[in-house]
Amino acid sequence: MSAVANAAAAKRSGPDAVTIGGWALLAVVGVVLLIAPAIFDSYWVSQILTQALWLGIAAVSLTFLNRYGGMVSLAQVAIYGVAGFAMANVVHTLNSEGGLNLGWTPWLGVAFGIGVAVLVGLLFGAIASRSYGIYFLMITLALSLFVFYFFGQVTQLSGFGGVRSVSRPGLVGDTITHPTPLYYVCLGCSVAVYALLRYVVRTPFGVALQGVRDDPERMRSLGYNVPLHRTLAFTLGAFVAAIAGILSVWFDTQISPGSIDITQTIAVLIIAVIGGLSRLEGAWLGAIAYAVINYYARQHTPTLGLWLNPGRFATIIGIVFLLIVLLSPDGLIGIGGKIRRAIGRRYGGGGARPAESEEAGAGEQAEVPAAAGTPASGTRGGLNQRRA
Amino acid sequence: MERKIKRSPLRRLTAIIAIAGCGLVIVACGGSSSSSSASSAASSTSTSGAAASSSNALRIGIMSDCAGAFGAFYNADIGGAQAYFIAHDGAKASGPAPSSGITGGTIAGHPIKIVGYGCANDTAASALREVRRLVEADHANIVIGPLSGDESIAVANYSKTQPNLTFINGTAGAQDTTLKVQSPNFFRYNGDGAQWNAGVGDVAYRKLGWRHAVVIMDDYAFGWTSAAGFIADFCAAGGTVTRLYPPLGTTDYSSYIAQIPQKFDGLFSAVGGTGTLAFLKQYTQARGAFKKNTLAGNIFLGDPAILAAIHAADVGALVGQPTNEDTTSANAAAYMSALKQAYPAPTTSLPKPGTLVSLANSVFTVNYYDAAWALDKALTAVHGDLSNGQSALHAALAKTSLPDAPYGPITLDKNRQAIVTNYIAQVTNTGGKPGIHTIYSVPNVDEAFGGLFTATTPSPGRGQPTCVKHALAWQGKEQPASFH
Repeated sequence: MSAVANAAAAKRSGPDAVTIGGWALLAVVGVVLLIAPAIFDSYWVSQILTQALWLGIAAVSLTFLNRYGGMVSLAQVAIYGVAGFAMANVVHTLNSEGGLNLGWTPWLGVAFGIGVAVLVGLLFGAIASRSYGIYFLMITLALSLFVFYFFGQVTQLSGFGGVRSVSRPGLVGDTITHPTPLYYVCLGCSVAVYALLRYVVRTPFGVALQGVRDDPERMRSLGYNVPLHRTLAFTLGAFVAAIAGILSVWFDTQISPGSIDITQTIAVLIIAVIGGLSRLEGAWLGAIAYAVINYYARQHTPTLGLWLNPGRFATIIGIVFLLIVLLSPDGLIGIGGKIRRAIGRRYGGGGARPAESEEAGAGEQAEVPAAAGTPASGTRGGLNQRRA
Repeated sequence: MERKIKRSPLRRLTAIIAIAGCGLVIVACGGSSSSSSASSAASSTSTSGAAASSSNALRIGIMSDCAGAFGAFYNADIGGAQAYFIAHDGAKASGPAPSSGITGGTIAGHPIKIVGYGCANDTAASALREVRRLVEADHANIVIGPLSGDESIAVANYSKTQPNLTFINGTAGAQDTTLKVQSPNFFRYNGDGAQWNAGVGDVAYRKLGWRHAVVIMDDYAFGWTSAAGFIADFCAAGGTVTRLYPPLGTTDYSSYIAQIPQKFDGLFSAVGGTGTLAFLKQYTQARGAFKKNTLAGNIFLGDPAILAAIHAADVGALVGQPTNEDTTSANAAAYMSALKQAYPAPTTSLPKPGTLVSLANSVFTVNYYDAAWALDKALTAVHGDLSNGQSALHAALAKTSLPDAPYGPITLDKNRQAIVTNYIAQVTNTGGKPGIHTIYSVPNVDEAFGGLFTATTPSPGRGQPTCVKHALAWQGKEQPASFH
């Protein structure tokens, strides 16, 4: 049985499937998000939820690359930075505050920013596509730092302290005085990105990509162009990250080299891991958790005194990260499946049936090909190694 | 299934280890400050009670950095601002660490309520998120901060979208913040990075006879701004410069040292952090010790760690700085006693030796103190009136000057930017012990350098400002420091 067929089998009954219950849950979450501006106070909507939505888009580009391509990329923040800087430079900025200020219309700037980022993604993907595992991680980290230092040094493009007061389309408007439109734009983009990625992984390309993830040598011997598949997947990831980059500039009203530094690179990785690398939805769940922890950790709480203060946030997020990695490698999104399987074992009497493992994610993924009679051998690529 | 069963004891073990590890981390982090948590817990109830009973409270948020390059000065910043409220407005510290908060205190009859502390990491994005949290979630109506350059540009821009609130800079020194952004409700009572070197170039030209200087600067915003102060000043007097800009954090300066011409009259170093010492050492190894009176530098050259390691031949080097450590003025003495009164006990939250007064001449402490002072003075003048979009307070702040500020009088210009006194110190060596000794004060240093910098001139950069002869208010008027 070929790796493609394995992946196809995984597609039908495997961890990607969304059950009726899953769809119902998604629908409830969707409705809550839709009416969020009516039920949450404005700070929650404008800062925590909006930030979580665009951070989720950035993280889902990483989740997608890891889950379906076996690539743990640290270049996603760099790519969204390229999109952000490209757009910020060509559109109008108030008072010429940094950047080229070419005065293009905002939508043209968006198209340009995404276009440049996708091209950069294609280039980066071509460079990195032949390496695997830790080497892929290191190459993308180097590319990420390269972009950070590029914008730090070429001040014609990054301004004195970033490109500021970047003009936004009328649809988005002033994001500080009227934050709700940006929230809905972020929500719409999130839904679109989620739908796009779910669609792509079901196309022949997506299935072949999963084959490449599981066994590159076998796919090569079957005649697939492995580096090309990986490069194109990376480029798709770059497209998604670019959308997050555009939204981040609208959210912050500016972009500076500091917005895409190593801290942010790590933050996006943490979000993806906390949420769960096994499912696309995990990216947004991780982003919400990250934004909420960030908010509460920074509150001035005299009752707690100096407990973990002022590095409280880094410590808490570090503990959460540690707990997730050790206790639920599938992230927060995997906890639901774990609980359901535990209930199933206790009351169902017969252990986890395949139907119960749809939320199980990575842990079960290796078992699907194993059950189909093929040893899951030679899995490559960073975090994927634990699946073997 | 078999595989799963086999793995589960291992998983359980890792889980136990993980929980134990986390427990240890929490105990370790909490333990160091357990004494202060108890006292702050006791006082917190009274804070919330006071806030609830008074709707006219002054809701103040203080912005600083708790991570990044300046994270160590978080408590120095907060302590600087709060020391003023404690010493002059009747507030009480909730614990030895400034960030445990204050209780009580009134200005013009209005209770002071610290709504939160901003914890950024010297990036504009983090500062913007933190200031929005203080304003939009914690409902601060007055913000003191932020700490560093890029942050202040972001906060000043943000202040334009909140015209009914008041923002007073902490200690950020970017030029654009006030010169270009010009937000009507953003006020800065400290000099920018260029002002901190005012007079050094002029003294080097007039007193040391420099005509051509080599300027080596960190290749980023603060390095350029800091060097801009020297270049503008030195060129204004008639000198010429060669510029070198190694990246921030360079460890091997040999290629840059090779680019320094063999013949120059003097060298100005705007290399900071770990680079200062690396550069000086490598220079002396490659080219021999600096000849007498051929070295000057920005604030980093006067850093105690640099002084301790500095080559004997570097004695005599000039250092530009906005404060000084050897002052004997009554104003500085009053300031230091305020710091001592507010935070008498040493705390681990401050750099060693742990008392706020030991950081008195740090810009991180004094600039936040001055910001709180200016706020107090303006609020008192308008009797705490925050109505009408705080318009009365804005008008009063623009007119507020601090003639008795610890390190020289402060007034504001039309961009609400401080006109300050700057200091020029000299590295000394008394009995083998290196030190620093203030030799000149430079009065009335304005941000525009007599019109050389304007809202439309390019920001300081690798090639900016251009080298032009120009008239400056303080040219030839540097006064021998009066407290010697």
